[in-house]
Amino acid sequence: MSRLIMFHARECPHCRVMMPLVDQLEKEQKIRFEKLEIWHDEKNADLMRSYRPVIAPKCGGQLRTPTFFNPETSAVLCGEVPYDKLKEWALSQG
Amino acid sequence: MKKFYRCFVCGDIHYGVKPPEVCPTCLVKNAYVEISSAEAERTMEPVMTTMTRDEFRRVIERFAEKNEFQVNPDTAKVEMLFDGIFANEQNHGFKYCPCRLRTKDFNEDLKLVCPCHFIVHETYKGKTDGECWCGLFVRRKK
Repeated sequence: MSRLIMFHARECPHCRVMMPLVDQLEKEQKIRFEKLEIWHDEKNADLMRSYRPVIAPKCGGQLRTPTFFNPETSAVLCGEVPYDKLKEWALSQG
Repeated sequence: MKKFYRCFVCGDIHYGVKPPEVCPTCLVKNAYVEISSAEAERTMEPVMTTMTRDEFRRVIERFAEKNEFQVNPDTAKVEMLFDGIFANEQNHGFKYCPCRLRTKDFNEDLKLVCPCHFIVHETYKGKTDGECWCGLFVRRKK
């Protein structure tokens, strides 16, 4: 399974909604997201910024949270999405 | 390029690409003269203030009341967003949106300062249930 990252922010309500869905998906599908908080951890923030040319065009031109990202394929899913959409995206990453 | 201007009558400070034709405070025409940023800073220093959460809440409610949007009635969500907005101001200098990351390009990042220009964003524009990206502002129900 590819390395999957969830960029999130501690005080982001969309991330708060998605976090239990990610936990559920991890349990059900035996996959794992690397959860990286970006407003209180500059190392994580710099990592997300380093992917800006890839992520921003797929997220309205900005670095938004939550963003689900596959560094190997540059696949991006951003924002608050239904469980099935998250699952479909994650499982398509191989 | 934006510059500072001072009303030579009442001392109002304006920051913009050009000065107002009429001073909104003393209503004198052609009253603004360009000044340096250092002079503007010294002029404002005695009245520099911080803003509490309750003050910010009142400010954005006043800002919204004559617009087609309102502060989100979900108070728990608003409180969480305030936590992020004020943490960002303390840690990074501005009330940056808690749901987007700054780029470290100063001018680009000014677009993330709350309230941002969300009415042109795809999460709001043309949507009956539109809201700003973080959800602090939502379109007012008719």
